[in-house]
Amino acid sequence: MSSNPRSRWANAQEDEAVEAERKRQKEERRQRKAAKARKAEEEEEARRKKHSLGSTEDRPTKRQRRTPEPDLPPAKPLRFEVEGWNKSRSVEHYDKLNDIEEGTYGWVARATELATGKVVALKRLKLEAGDRSGLPVTGLREIQILRDCKHRNIVSMDEVVVGDNVSRLDNSIFLVLEFVEHDLKGILDDMPEPFLSSEVKQLLLQLTSGVAYLHNHWILHRDLKTSNILLNNRGQLKIADFGMARYVGDPPPKLTSLVVTLWYRSPELLLGTKTYGSAVDMWSVGCIFGELLTREPLLQGKNEVDQISKIFELCGVPTEDSWPGFRRLPNARSLRLPRSAQTTGSVIRARFPNLTSAGASLLNDLLALDPERRPSASEMLQHEYFHQDPKPKPESLFPTFPSKAGQEKRRRHEPNAPARGQAAASLGEVDLGGLFQRREREERGAGFSLRMV
Amino acid sequence: MAHLTNPLATPSQLYNHTSFSSLPADLREVVFITTQCLTQAAGLLLELPQSVTAQANVILARYWLIDSPMAHEFSVANSESPSQDVSAAALYLVAKVGPMPRSTRDVSNVYAYLLSPKSSLFRVPREGKPEEDPKAYYQTESDYFAFQSRLLALEARILYCLSFNTHVSLPHALAITYLQTLDFLSQPKSTISHRVTQYLNTALLSPQMLYLTHQPHALATAAIYNAARDLGAKMPETEWWEVFDVDREDLGFLVVGMRSVEGILTSRREEMPWVGEGMTTRTLVEREMQKRGLQAENGETKQLDKEEEAMRMLDSR
Repeated sequence: MSSNPRSRWANAQEDEAVEAERKRQKEERRQRKAAKARKAEEEEEARRKKHSLGSTEDRPTKRQRRTPEPDLPPAKPLRFEVEGWNKSRSVEHYDKLNDIEEGTYGWVARATELATGKVVALKRLKLEAGDRSGLPVTGLREIQILRDCKHRNIVSMDEVVVGDNVSRLDNSIFLVLEFVEHDLKGILDDMPEPFLSSEVKQLLLQLTSGVAYLHNHWILHRDLKTSNILLNNRGQLKIADFGMARYVGDPPPKLTSLVVTLWYRSPELLLGTKTYGSAVDMWSVGCIFGELLTREPLLQGKNEVDQISKIFELCGVPTEDSWPGFRRLPNARSLRLPRSAQTTGSVIRARFPNLTSAGASLLNDLLALDPERRPSASEMLQHEYFHQDPKPKPESLFPTFPSKAGQEKRRRHEPNAPARGQAAASLGEVDLGGLFQRREREERGAGFSLRMV
Repeated sequence: MAHLTNPLATPSQLYNHTSFSSLPADLREVVFITTQCLTQAAGLLLELPQSVTAQANVILARYWLIDSPMAHEFSVANSESPSQDVSAAALYLVAKVGPMPRSTRDVSNVYAYLLSPKSSLFRVPREGKPEEDPKAYYQTESDYFAFQSRLLALEARILYCLSFNTHVSLPHALAITYLQTLDFLSQPKSTISHRVTQYLNTALLSPQMLYLTHQPHALATAAIYNAARDLGAKMPETEWWEVFDVDREDLGFLVVGMRSVEGILTSRREEMPWVGEGMTTRTLVEREMQKRGLQAENGETKQLDKEEEAMRMLDSR
């Protein structure tokens, strides 16, 4: 082997020949490929021209096989931003500043996140003592819905934190919510002058866009009222408290009619309907609209019967014309109603003399007895009331209010949201025949018509 | 988009799940499949719609990615089945949050029946009518009370481990929508949609946890692909799955994953005959572990820190 000076790995003559042959073949192949590509390109070009001329006859009847797709850019499939899941963090990541309230929906406190200094509201999930059915379903629904909602007019939830004793979570589950300085109820109670009409318009606009977001996402709030609507110092309105809220479908599922705080409860709920939809929220929006104008809750019934009679006093007694089919509702069968022409019309226009006619017509629509006739939130956003002068006041020009949530507890003088699991009250035998006696007497006595109808 | 997407498992969660479990992979698969089947059976007996039961399957799988199946329930004394309680808790929780709540009493009765020696779950049906023996699944009041307490504790535990996110979006409805956009020549739509649903429901049982790694649209597309293949339906010759935002790689993974579930269960049954003789219980798993000379310890001991150790002591008290 050593006698041979050439390495056995060195290129021999025949190697070179083979190499040249390979090169030639490669070149040939490349040219063939290029020619083919050119031809394809020309064909494509010709076809495109033909197509642009409107001829379609030579389109292949069958789609060509194109699984290895050389000339299309790679598809860019849609990818979703997703989160994962992990154990809840501890409440020890937050430092409590002060209690805000201890009310119907449990304990709420102001706190800061230690790591960031961010101010938040901590809301304890309320548990029924001795309840052997586990964590309350309303609380779980509230968590789920808040987690799914991202809208500037809906209070946002950062996370759910738990107390230190992880094996017994009984009373130590907290929702970490965006902290908002005021609630609308507190502001209305304290303000010396009512909101300007441009301010009412802005608030209503924000409320409606929040409600529209919810309804577009198949969520019914079912407890809209001024104490559940928050307002920060930058004029932003936020819908809060989703303890009554739930997802619905289409067709609407069978639902409990015992929802919504009495003063904001729609007539169909009071009459015991089991199938209802977003219109119940729109009724509440109507009640809130009225309350924003006068600073007083619009319909303050003492009980269910009183509430429905207050509604009929304001909106008129339902007839088959104004509300087809209302007689078939469970509580309406035994209802005795006065039957005369002047009791069926609405007196909303007269009750709000300072409201523009567009505003009055909107309020009238929202407080339509027949749920079918109430506008949806998205329809309402298109209402001319919002386009007329005065224009909605920009949020940044909103007045600020002395903070109550920062220091003291809030007080409430209003009925609470109905508790889950209670039996829906039946109105029983109700005689509303005397409902409009006073109105009749007034008109007769004076001899001229009052500005009521 | 929340309606169409699910939270997904992170790669590190999946890695920890497979590498730090005290159970060997095949036993873990058995526990997973049988528990998911148990949940399905209980869903049927509780007259829950499949949409509810399927969500419970997904919630259970998510939970087991955080707490190992061996870690928690096995340490609970007097709970015979490793999975009975957590299956029951997941089903109870999902039914409660959804439109069809079930009472703890109903859940307790159904699980007691399914785990009794008289239930036909996982048992080869014998000749003739099965004998009725209510004594076999009778529950005393104290049995019920103990079960209920475990159920509620686990419910809170599951929620805590999922950071209270119970959202599950299922691919079934999406698959039907996709099917409507496709034209299956020579195949009636009901045949193909039936097969698609079968694939989607079978995928719930897969120990590969396909519902935790892929979004519903990908699952739906893969089920359609499989169904079309099985039935010989004529499909578009293009890469039609791209229309549904699924790429070839994901599709391939899911197609194989969905097809392998049956094979996994069959081969595990051959290897461990006790799998075909009733619900997998703690005793059975421990016996199998002993046979192999392994210690049936509480899982994940390697990666637990002191804090969690202390927590577990509190739990078991």
